[in-house]
Amino acid sequence: MNAPVSLSEPFFSEPPIWQPAPKVLWRGWRWRVLAAALLLACGGCGLLIYQLSPQTQVDAQWQRSEDGQIELVSTNEPALKPFVGRTVIAMTSRNAGQPVVAPDAQALQRSSRWLVHDADRAQHLQMHAQLTEVLGHSDIGLLFDNGKMARLQAHPLGLTGLPTLFWVLTTLAFALFTVAVAVFLAKLTLLNGLYALMSLCQVGNLLFISVESALRLGLPFNVAQYDLPVRMAFDLITAAAVVHAACIHPNPVGRGAWIAGAAWASAVVLLGLHQAGWLSHAWWWTQGLCALLGGLTMWVLSVSYRTEPHPFAVVLRRFVAIAMGTWLLLSLAIAASSTMPELRHGVASMGATTWYVFLTSLLLLVPFLSKSQQMMREFALLAAVSTVAMSLNLLFVAMFSLGQFASFALALFLSIGVYIASRQWLVNQLLGSSLPSAERMFERLYRVAREVEEHPERTPRLLSGLLQELFEPLELRILNKACGGSRVVADGSTLLLPIPALSDDPQECPPQSMILRFAHRGLSLFTSEDVRLTDRIIEQLCRAVAFDKAVEQGRNEERSRLAQDLHDDIGARLLTLMYTAPSPEIEEYARHTLQDLKTLTRGLAASNHRLSHAAAEWKADLTQRLSAAHIELGWKCEFDADTQLNVVQWSALTRILRELINNVIAHAGARRVEVHFRLFNNQMELNVTDNGQGCAPETWSHGLGLGGIRKRAKQLGAEVEWRAATPRGILCRVVSRQWEQRDLG
Amino acid sequence: MAVKVLVVEDNPVARAFLSRVVRESFSDEILIAEAGDLESARRQIGAITSTGVPDTTDPFKLILVDLELPDGNGLELLAALARYPATKIVTTLYSDDDHLFPALQCGADGYLLKEDRFEVLVEELQKIVRGQPPLSPAIARRLLTQFRGNNGADAGPAPHPGFSSSKPSPLPRPAPPDHERLTPRESEVLTYLSKGFTIKEIANLMGIKWFTVNDHIKSIYKKLNVSSRAEAAVLASKQGLV
Repeated sequence: MNAPVSLSEPFFSEPPIWQPAPKVLWRGWRWRVLAAALLLACGGCGLLIYQLSPQTQVDAQWQRSEDGQIELVSTNEPALKPFVGRTVIAMTSRNAGQPVVAPDAQALQRSSRWLVHDADRAQHLQMHAQLTEVLGHSDIGLLFDNGKMARLQAHPLGLTGLPTLFWVLTTLAFALFTVAVAVFLAKLTLLNGLYALMSLCQVGNLLFISVESALRLGLPFNVAQYDLPVRMAFDLITAAAVVHAACIHPNPVGRGAWIAGAAWASAVVLLGLHQAGWLSHAWWWTQGLCALLGGLTMWVLSVSYRTEPHPFAVVLRRFVAIAMGTWLLLSLAIAASSTMPELRHGVASMGATTWYVFLTSLLLLVPFLSKSQQMMREFALLAAVSTVAMSLNLLFVAMFSLGQFASFALALFLSIGVYIASRQWLVNQLLGSSLPSAERMFERLYRVAREVEEHPERTPRLLSGLLQELFEPLELRILNKACGGSRVVADGSTLLLPIPALSDDPQECPPQSMILRFAHRGLSLFTSEDVRLTDRIIEQLCRAVAFDKAVEQGRNEERSRLAQDLHDDIGARLLTLMYTAPSPEIEEYARHTLQDLKTLTRGLAASNHRLSHAAAEWKADLTQRLSAAHIELGWKCEFDADTQLNVVQWSALTRILRELINNVIAHAGARRVEVHFRLFNNQMELNVTDNGQGCAPETWSHGLGLGGIRKRAKQLGAEVEWRAATPRGILCRVVSRQWEQRDLG
Repeated sequence: MAVKVLVVEDNPVARAFLSRVVRESFSDEILIAEAGDLESARRQIGAITSTGVPDTTDPFKLILVDLELPDGNGLELLAALARYPATKIVTTLYSDDDHLFPALQCGADGYLLKEDRFEVLVEELQKIVRGQPPLSPAIARRLLTQFRGNNGADAGPAPHPGFSSSKPSPLPRPAPPDHERLTPRESEVLTYLSKGFTIKEIANLMGIKWFTVNDHIKSIYKKLNVSSRAEAAVLASKQGLV
């Protein structure tokens, strides 16, 4: 039983989607009440077993004979051994004044609830009243059809005498009771109360069946007389409660109160009429009303789904449809076979029992829909298919007059075929797990990982695209707050997951979470398997990004080391060369080389430079150098977006600027330099104008400096031109019309 | 009495060059001591009391320290000389803030770029001694981040080391004492500097005198030094320097 584990969140609760579901504190009174309830249930079971064990019975196996009598199949009783294969004509007790019973196959019929005809039921009640009387005494006489009387002692059942079916059903009832109480205690709402009510009714049904199965002949505690009214009440209350629950969950339905009221009223009226003895054909009425209420539930759920496409409504509707279908089939089969007394007692009662087990498994499944394990779903499916098999078996026998064995084999064969064919479809439809192909998934994940690595701020958008494709939710929202971890909330309609912060910069990636509602266009629920899958996807994404980052970091470290070495070794030598230069020209040459080396190593060490930062440094550098040469600087830098310059762009612009200013300082004899940088609409323009004595640039010889500038401009995909400025001086213009396209260098 | 100057530099040519720069920069009588590595530099400086004050009546007035030395990093020496009453200047080839910022935190009063021309170096050295330290845009940016971080209010959570999104954010640091906080004017000056404006331009933009801007810069330097003395020790020990 995984109930206590799953109880940390209420199942039938309506937490606001955008807030984490309020945690139920199980520490306090809830645990105590649950423990008390379970202790009480254990005590009840113990008492039941204690009461059953002194019940006396004849240690023998019986079956219905051809002529409607009961036949001794096998026995451990020495006195009965000679009578195996004989039918019993009469039973009596040795005590004087005791009635003589002529048992027929009715004695083997367990439940009067599932007898179709009122006359049969009356007969059944009378038979069991007499049997109870006779079997209440220890000395019993059995008269067989060969005219001989067997006298024997009836033994108390004891603990070991209780049949396996009794233990199985009692355990199932106990499990359902536990879940019902736990769900109710998790949150004391009307809905959970209704769930608990229908569960308790089924617990009652299961207990009735288990008690009735305790004795092979006759019924203990004279239970037969309460069987019909109580179990009829159980079934009708369950049906009405289902209608009521559908009216308020997952969405309240308009006039839901009226519909629920009508359902309850019809159930109460029917029970009242029966209690007053004014109702004939009670079985028909009960089956009919239950089917009607089932149909009403399906209609209410359809209306509810139209109001809001909550997948819970769809899933519940499917459950109700399956339950209704089997109910109708079972009713039809039992009604059809009611005229064949040779069938009634065995298969019919087993069919009903299987149906209750199926209903119980559905009830056990409903609170855990989004958390249920494969096994539980399969169990429910198997129970449903068994019910269908039993019903089909009855139908075949009744309608086609097939032999017992042939019909059973055929029904089993058909049911297994239906089971295999529908299993996959049902599992998919009930809870939805259709995934895109693994290959596509891989490809998507790979692409998303690449993109996330480059643009961590796009994580939410990319992840939501991926999950959109995976789950096809009707609604997907991103919240700017953290949530503890991925989980399913609101009865499986909603999946809540944290968006991983894949950026190192917390400013770029504030804590966020994502909400997905109504999986597969509102047709299925989110399950714990979906949560695991989502966690896996996020984990893989994080891993891929971490790997990429590690690779990038390795590259950076390698580049930095290279830059450091270059800087330290070559830089120191160039410095010495500069200090010891024989002429100012060579000193200046060494200085420029050193500056180029520094630009190169800085470019190696840092991968990106923000435009505004780079511009600030250019300006500071130019100011310092020009002021040392007593030249004024006019600086203007305009851009529409503060983009990141890559290494090529940064180092090319740095060196172009430096070279141009070097030329101005060395050759122009200018008093002022204007530098104007513009980057708008992906077009870059750099103008450097001096007011010096330079003229006729077209006649300049292309020395090292000019060639270097052309080379750098080419790296940028830019054109460079020199022309005479007015009134005097030279204007150098570098223009790139496609700035960003060359950003990969 | 002659002014004592210490030049710590492993390259003898550069050492001689820097000594020339020092002699050219000041009219006083200069006594230059040279050291090629940290060890000899320490020997030259001599004993320092536990409070960091020199144990001699005639301490160095000016110390030029190269960052890359054969037996260690110049930062180590700077950290040790945090309370030494000399003008300490870093001479380096590295002009990026990654190298210079820790030096300033360790108590340097300014920096000289060794590849600059002789006249430029003389002028820069005079400026530093006069109290006009250089401040490049990159360093100004670093300073802004540093003080913003210290001010607590803008401090975001620490960068995410992993990918666990549910990691609790660190507690905000307590507000630093006043002497570690920038005044609004100083912040403004720093912001302009980080954008590449010159002191003159900043004075114009802010409508204040040139030397007022310079005072702000000096005060920022001082705050950086004062606030980061403890941090410098940590930094130095982190880099295996102490």
